[in-house]
Amino acid sequence: MSEFLMYLTNGIVIGVINAISAIGVSLIVGIMKVVNFAHGELYIFAGYFSYHLSVSLGVPPLLAMPLSIFFIFLIGIGMERTLIRPTYGDEMYSLIITFVLSIVLQNAALLIFGPYPNKPPNLVSGATNIFGLFHYGNQRLLSFLISIGILLFIFYLIKRTWFGKAIRAVSQDRGMSSLVGVDHFRINMLSFGLGVALAGAAGVIIAPIFPVTPTGSTAVSLTAFVVVVLGGMGSLKGCVVGGLMLGIIENLGAAYVSTMYRHIFGFVILILILVFRPWGLYGQKTQ
Amino acid sequence: MRDSMSRMDIKKISLPLIFIIIALFPPFFLSQYWLHVMIISLFYVMMASSWNLIAGFTGQVSFAHAAFSGVGAYISGMFTVYLGISPWLGILIGIGVAALLGLGLGYLCIRMGGIYLSLTTLGFSEILRIIITNEDKWTRGTMGLQIPGFFAEYSKTHYYYLFLVITVGLLSIIYRIIHSEMGLTFRAVLNDELAASSSGINTIRVRILAFTISSAMAGLAGGLYGHYLMLITPDIPSLGQMFLVLAMAVIGGMGSFAGPIVGSFVLEILSEYIRVYGEYHVLLFGLIALAMARFAPEGVVGILREKWRREWA
Repeated sequence: MSEFLMYLTNGIVIGVINAISAIGVSLIVGIMKVVNFAHGELYIFAGYFSYHLSVSLGVPPLLAMPLSIFFIFLIGIGMERTLIRPTYGDEMYSLIITFVLSIVLQNAALLIFGPYPNKPPNLVSGATNIFGLFHYGNQRLLSFLISIGILLFIFYLIKRTWFGKAIRAVSQDRGMSSLVGVDHFRINMLSFGLGVALAGAAGVIIAPIFPVTPTGSTAVSLTAFVVVVLGGMGSLKGCVVGGLMLGIIENLGAAYVSTMYRHIFGFVILILILVFRPWGLYGQKTQ
Repeated sequence: MRDSMSRMDIKKISLPLIFIIIALFPPFFLSQYWLHVMIISLFYVMMASSWNLIAGFTGQVSFAHAAFSGVGAYISGMFTVYLGISPWLGILIGIGVAALLGLGLGYLCIRMGGIYLSLTTLGFSEILRIIITNEDKWTRGTMGLQIPGFFAEYSKTHYYYLFLVITVGLLSIIYRIIHSEMGLTFRAVLNDELAASSSGINTIRVRILAFTISSAMAGLAGGLYGHYLMLITPDIPSLGQMFLVLAMAVIGGMGSFAGPIVGSFVLEILSEYIRVYGEYHVLLFGLIALAMARFAPEGVVGILREKWRREWA
């Protein structure tokens, strides 16, 4: 029983991190109709940044994390301005460009960071006894709390601030929102930056638990895409519920069915969703 | 009128005919090594041209093209190894399975729009890699599975002509499709989906059909490739391979018949020269493909055509 509870808890912790990463994808799809295939690579880059900042340069780990996320944000802004902006309205070219970019970044990561996994230092050590049932690593508990904090921040940003209102307006009706004075280019740029920064946030949170490698990036992107389709394109709530579901299913599946096929569960869910409920759990049925 | 028509026909046929005649000669003067490079280039011509059929002509970006070639290679390879059937029959089964999987994925995703097809095909590609790597009892995983070749006596010249004949066959089918009524509907769908569907074209059926044909072609190319190398590994259905095919089409010129052909030869030959310095060719091709997609979306063929028009017409 305690074993089951531990796998379940693992699933919940990973699920919350999945949700952060998926919201990043969902934000960019919702606003710009662009699927960023380089999402996983930026997640990996963030993990390596936080490792090198704290281990190679001696920055305190607590400062290295937000700094890495900020670097990813800047990279995202640069990507949007140089490569993504000219493809607006041409779905095919944006898909091709972000895919090529993912391959380029993956190879660049191999070249810069090497093929070996690197693990940033833990912020805390030891383990806590959860309700007398099982021991759980403090680092994982802290990661969980940070993730919840980030999720609350995103919900606040999108539901309560002017920026969030502008984002929702653009994703609902681009023409109308520009008529009432929303500057598209800025909203696009900032939301692309924010979207990839969330990949970065997920990356720096996960790196001390599961060290990142350049070759792991495709699985990261796929997990985020499955969550977005599962939750329904453009739904924040869907990302959270979908992220948790996928995290739990993958962890229980890996524990009780097969470790090797961890990522297959996600793909099976994707196919089932496409067959039975293509608009996802919380998406709007358009057809 | 009749005369001018036949003159047009002669012009249309003569150019490809010249290329085919030139293509007959390489085995007489190329070394074994460069003959190998030519055979691999022909494989990429088949891959990039059939990918271009859906991406360039119907605007749907599939990331499972390499995966379908892997399906062709592994289905055919495993049937020949474990059941002892002839590779020729194995390839037919491989094509059939690739077409069926293409039909299934196309049916599921295409009605949902382009983004879903790209996401699902990427997932399919990754899953196939995981299955092949993990089921090493049957596939021998990353070690690779040794499979028989087509000819009792190994000869690169034989393989070269086999690849040439099938490539020409595939290209003529693709040419016919894009210049047929179906090709017209492809372009109608690409240019304006709403207008096409309101003028009575079943856009979804056209796209699923194109996707199935293209998947079957990838299965054929993969099967041939496997039986030529006589060793199949999870690299065949990898995303790295997918990237090369995509880069060849993008750099050569998507949406044109000649683009992927030019791109395949240029990139495959170029990568032989770059390989000397290490595995940088992927990074380099990626950067070139990004620059092309950004500044010259019609590729090398588009640039040459523009130059030709400016200087000669």
